[in-house]
Amino acid sequence: MSTAQATKNCITLKGSAQIIVEYLKYGINSILFQRGIYPAENFDNTQQYGLTILMSKDPKIVSFLQNVLTQTEEWLAKNMINKISMVITNAHTKEVLECWDFKMQAEAGDGVEAGDPTKQTSSKQLSRIQNEIRDVMRQISATVSYLPLLDCICTFDVMIHTLQNTEIPAQWNETGAVFIQNAQAVQLRSFSTGLQKVDTVVNYKMSS
Amino acid sequence: MDEIRSSLDNIMARFNDSITHSAPKKLVFDRLSMSFNDDSVTVPKKRRLNDNDSLNGSLNISLNASNTSLNNSFNDPAGPWQTRKLRADLIETKAIVTQLQEQLAVQAKDHAAAVAHAEAKADALKEQCDYTSAKLLEMEKHLQVTRKREHNARQEVNRVLAEVEEQKLKYETALGAAEQEKSQLEDDAREVQHCISNELSEYKRQSERLQLELEATKNELARIRRRHDEYKANSASYDKLQMDFELQQQTLDTANARIKELEFEIESYSDWKEVTKTSQARLLSVPELQAEVVRLRAHNKHLNTLIGDKLLLEEKVHDYKTRLDREEGARAEAAALQVKLTHVELELKEWIKVAQDHCLANTLVSPLALRTRIEQLLQDDIVRVAEKGNSDAETKKLQSALLELQQQCAVYLKNIEDMNVVLKRHKSFRERLQRKLLIVCKERDFYKQLLENFDKDMTMTNASTAEMTNDMQVRCRVEVLERTLTGYKEMCSTLEREMQNMRQQESLSELPVNENGYDGVKKELDTLRLENDRLRRRKDELELELEHRCLRGDFNMGNYKVLHMSENPANEAYEATKNVMEKLQAEIERLKRRNKKLEDESEQTQTNSGGLTMNFKELNQLRAELESANGRLKKAKDCFKAARNEFRDVCYMLLGYRIDRVGSNSHYRISSMYAESPDDYLSISVNESNCLALLESPYSQTLKPAIDQQLAANNSFPAFFAGLTLELFQRATVTIT
Repeated sequence: MSTAQATKNCITLKGSAQIIVEYLKYGINSILFQRGIYPAENFDNTQQYGLTILMSKDPKIVSFLQNVLTQTEEWLAKNMINKISMVITNAHTKEVLECWDFKMQAEAGDGVEAGDPTKQTSSKQLSRIQNEIRDVMRQISATVSYLPLLDCICTFDVMIHTLQNTEIPAQWNETGAVFIQNAQAVQLRSFSTGLQKVDTVVNYKMSS
Repeated sequence: MDEIRSSLDNIMARFNDSITHSAPKKLVFDRLSMSFNDDSVTVPKKRRLNDNDSLNGSLNISLNASNTSLNNSFNDPAGPWQTRKLRADLIETKAIVTQLQEQLAVQAKDHAAAVAHAEAKADALKEQCDYTSAKLLEMEKHLQVTRKREHNARQEVNRVLAEVEEQKLKYETALGAAEQEKSQLEDDAREVQHCISNELSEYKRQSERLQLELEATKNELARIRRRHDEYKANSASYDKLQMDFELQQQTLDTANARIKELEFEIESYSDWKEVTKTSQARLLSVPELQAEVVRLRAHNKHLNTLIGDKLLLEEKVHDYKTRLDREEGARAEAAALQVKLTHVELELKEWIKVAQDHCLANTLVSPLALRTRIEQLLQDDIVRVAEKGNSDAETKKLQSALLELQQQCAVYLKNIEDMNVVLKRHKSFRERLQRKLLIVCKERDFYKQLLENFDKDMTMTNASTAEMTNDMQVRCRVEVLERTLTGYKEMCSTLEREMQNMRQQESLSELPVNENGYDGVKKELDTLRLENDRLRRRKDELELELEHRCLRGDFNMGNYKVLHMSENPANEAYEATKNVMEKLQAEIERLKRRNKKLEDESEQTQTNSGGLTMNFKELNQLRAELESANGRLKKAKDCFKAARNEFRDVCYMLLGYRIDRVGSNSHYRISSMYAESPDDYLSISVNESNCLALLESPYSQTLKPAIDQQLAANNSFPAFFAGLTLELFQRATVTIT
């Protein structure tokens, strides 16, 4: 009976990576919709975290996010990611207008086998984690009220800040970090799976 | 379908195979019966039969023998050889009997043995039977199992069969659908063929019509060609006529020119006449003129001489004038020079006075002396200036030295202040020490007093010589106290020594610290303080930056590398925008060129543009079409008109009435062929309900009886008109005959 209780609320590093990747999927789609990077008719309603989230139905974007997030999950399960940046740029001038940073921080966890980092576990309730994520998603929706209006054709890219010793997979390449001139940063709420903590920060260009 | 069928056959064949393979094998139970037949039944039977046979045979033999013997005994009266023979037979038979008996015994033994053997065999068989019954049970079980299996297999077979049926059905339905589709397709094909044939026929008809039209157009073309030839001939004649006309015009022009020339000549001739008249008059006045010429010449000479004199005089006047001017200039100069002279003399006097003032008393007053004097003064001046420069430099040096000294002084003052502070500190320290010393001294005095007291006590006790115990006690106490006193004394001396040392150290240490050490330390302190401030400010700045960067999260970027998908939406968007831009640029270029072209063309001629020519072409085509359509319409109209006229004529000739439509109100005028005058006609109108009504007219008044008879009675227009025709015909023929 006691063992059953122990294994009930147990999140492994893989599970944590899955939760974070799910959050990233919904978060990025929500940002795409909220910031009006693609027209609203290209989005579908979905229920997640007790919220209505609009997901892109453009097959190109769906496949791109699928590819990126699969790779991200692999790396997250090995704790190799420092942060993930979603960069919004002007399609004509390539100027960086906004940068959404999802910063990853490894946490110790409270499992029994704390010695082996790959076998760490956390006993945090999934519903609690999802509630935290829901709060962040709400904040993302609310950012529209103060972020500057994107009044040009915009596009986005997802950049992953990994450790130096990471092997570059096929179809991926290395790029430089982006910098926003005259930037302003706003930190949103953060959530934690017990093994990884995710901070969401939005950097945006101050409208002159 | 064949394929499907073959596959079905295959499936069935496979299924049958499986059934035969899986079907339980027929078990053979013949072995048992065989064994029974062979061993236990047939063999003994045979034996028995054989035995019986043998028995029968023997019996028969014996019977036969007895019979024969009986017969012999009955038939033959006993003879000697017969008896002998009988005896021999008897003996023989006896021997046979014994033999047989022996045989019987052997056989009985054999039988017993056989019976035993058979019993043993029966036991064995019983055992076998038990075993086989067990086996049978087992087999029955097996059989049941196999039956069950068979049942299952059968069910499966049924199921499979049903499935097969279902599939067959499905395939049949599919087949039917396919066939239906095929038939539909065939229908479609037929329909299409039909359509195509229809269209083909239509096209053929069209082509025929077109051919007809073509022929018509060809005919027309030939006509046009002929017309064209005519026109050509006409134009040629016209050209010729024009040429003739031009030629005539030219001749007319030349003639006109000639006329004008002649007129001009006539005019010039009249002028010439006038000229000759005037020249003649002039010729008449020539001698007068010659005389005048001579006179004028003389006059001219006189005038020339006068002009020469006048010129000479003028030259002279000019010469005098110039001389006068020069003279006046010289006079003014002289006056100016005189003024200058006086001025210079005054100056000279001043100079001389100055020289006298400055020259030495005994020397002659002269410019040379003055110069020497001036030179001397200048040299003196130079020397003084040099001296002054030297002194300036010296003062500067002194000032700098003073400044240095002042700085040093300030430093010293500062040092002195510091020293004073240190001195004060030391003084306070010394005071403290002195106070401590005083305290210690007081303590010492106190202890000395105490000791004296104790001494007094001792003397007192000694003097009184009280109890021994008390004395002893006091002695002990005194000893202890003396020891403490020595201890205190030692302490005092050490303290005094320390104090002295301290004083010496003070006096020693005050000297070396003063000059360099303190200064150096202070400078170091200042620099350190400055550095401290600087570092603190730097630290604050860096903290701010760190906070900022922490928020942005871009510190320690060297430890991480940034990866992204090579095929990301941003790249695609960039490519797309680039393409769009290029396209737009190309479009702009194209439009610019087009615009330019259009502008050029509009500048050249507004009507000659490409679009307009296109429109013209179209317009011409449309016009041609319109003309052809109009022609066709006209032709049809003509045709209809001809047919109508013919029809009307035929009707008139056949029925004897001409029916004309009057106006647009469906009024009809009906006039008979045999009418006596053109005014004899009847008017009829058609109602809304298509009923005919005869209108009243002067002619109808004359036909009242016929109208009453035919129309009012029978209400038949044809009868009325037929009657009228007959009447008129009879009247006409009557008049003719």
